[in-house]
Amino acid sequence: MHMVDALLSPAVGGAMTAVSVGAIGLSVAKIKNTSENPDKFDEKKIPVMAVLGAFIFAAQMINFTIPGTGSSGHIGGGILLAAILGPFPALLTLASVLLIQCLFFADGGLLAYGCNLFNMGVCACLFAYQIIYKPIIKKWGLNKKTIFVAAVFSAITGLQAGAFMVVLQTAISGVANLPFATFAALMQPIHLIIGIIEGIVTAAVLCFIHSVRPEILDNNISRTNTVRPYKLLIIFIILTLIIGGVISIFASQLPDGLEWSIEKTEEISGIEISNDDTAENIVLEYSPIGGIIGSIITVALAGSIGFIIHIAKKQRKQTGES
Amino acid sequence: MASLYHASVNISNLEQLAMQKSIIHKIHPMAKLISAIVYIVVVISFSYKNITGLVPFIFYPVILISLANIPYKFLLKRTVIALPFSLMAGISNIIFMPFTDGMISFVAVMLKTFLTVFAALILIATTPFTEITHQLNILRIPKILCLLIVMTYRYLSVLMTEAFIMHTAYILRSHKQNGIKLKDIGFFLGQLVLKSFDRAERVYNSMKCRGFDGTYYGKYSGMRISDIVYIVVVAGLAIFLRVFNLSLFIGGII
Repeated sequence: MHMVDALLSPAVGGAMTAVSVGAIGLSVAKIKNTSENPDKFDEKKIPVMAVLGAFIFAAQMINFTIPGTGSSGHIGGGILLAAILGPFPALLTLASVLLIQCLFFADGGLLAYGCNLFNMGVCACLFAYQIIYKPIIKKWGLNKKTIFVAAVFSAITGLQAGAFMVVLQTAISGVANLPFATFAALMQPIHLIIGIIEGIVTAAVLCFIHSVRPEILDNNISRTNTVRPYKLLIIFIILTLIIGGVISIFASQLPDGLEWSIEKTEEISGIEISNDDTAENIVLEYSPIGGIIGSIITVALAGSIGFIIHIAKKQRKQTGES
Repeated sequence: MASLYHASVNISNLEQLAMQKSIIHKIHPMAKLISAIVYIVVVISFSYKNITGLVPFIFYPVILISLANIPYKFLLKRTVIALPFSLMAGISNIIFMPFTDGMISFVAVMLKTFLTVFAALILIATTPFTEITHQLNILRIPKILCLLIVMTYRYLSVLMTEAFIMHTAYILRSHKQNGIKLKDIGFFLGQLVLKSFDRAERVYNSMKCRGFDGTYYGKYSGMRISDIVYIVVVAGLAIFLRVFNLSLFIGGII
């Protein structure tokens, strides 16, 4: 599920963006590390990552029927990408896919981009893949059974973590007044079902690749892992807390600044101006009609400006043509 | 398949819009990027009770849309995609809050959704995508990611066509079926992955032939004074309207 701008507070959006930028930075560093020449990363990887990014994009639009329900679903693809490309390249690939989705399809938003990258990318590629998929494959080898088990469990874990993050981000932002427990009770079971289906499909795709081109999956798992997943998780949590804390300190100081400037403006102009804390009173008690009329006039004003520009352009075009 | 088809049409539509020539299209991409981000941050910083404060922000999309010749209908259609999650949260506000508060916050959430989605769509409809990634590179986003974004974008249409062909072939051979069966999806997507790998190999070879070595190229053009004025005006107005409630002011006069 894509997080949207409208439900975020600037502090949460900012903190998540900072953490996701950190995750991207880490991934870039990792990719440069694994190539033979650290100055020039393995440029052959980029086309593979890009084309697979486009693949994920296309794959998300292919619906399959879910037996017995009559509904249809599509894959998210985080674990699939991580299993094929490795976790860090997979995260970068998802980062580019999510950016394109956010800009071209209004899936999520510019400020929610960090949240979405964390919920769908980091949770799947750096968390679920590292703590479940990779250990299972490493311990019991690569065959159809282990792929199935690893894919299903990591997909479930990734989606549960992602869904929980959505709940958490919405709750902390406080724009939507959903009670935390109710929202979680709604989201987690839905995403459990989605996770199971995602896992089965991911497993089916990986098993097919394993039987036809096993070297694609082998290459990836044999690489040594230098970052411990637990360590990574703890780093991310601490990072989020620190950044979130710093931003919310600023945010809590900001209203004071706002109040001060509002007082000043009131002094100068002699007009009473609303402020968030008193907005409700103003809207409900002070002058509900004034507020509504003012809003309508503002909208009408904006609309007429748009209309005038439109007419002016048309006329200019006509005079240009004649 | 409908959604694949719609997606490719959508991308090419937005690309065509971005290729137009207007005052807004001429503004430096960095100026548009910065002002759009400032605008979105200011919009979402409003509390959920403050509708009257949010209303004046409608000037930004209205003026930009008419200056940049973007069809309203097209933007509205795209915005509907973003609605379900906001709608759910908005309705939950009506349920879980006292009714008046709930309605007010519902309207505020929907207004915020429209304003933020419009801001992002206007950005992409007035700026070619490669220009935006180029700005990201200037902003010190690692070049590997910039390259990746540009190339993913380039290969979207290729892979979508590939998927479309496979899907049509599958559907033609399966009677009375809406989508792909769950038991076939593994083979289907697996085949698509293998095709992607082969395609990537060919892409790499042809890029290598043309001298690709992992460098990101883009020409840098400096900002003009008018671009800086644009940032100052948009960001300044956004911050001013954050503090000064225009709707109440107009209402107060009357």
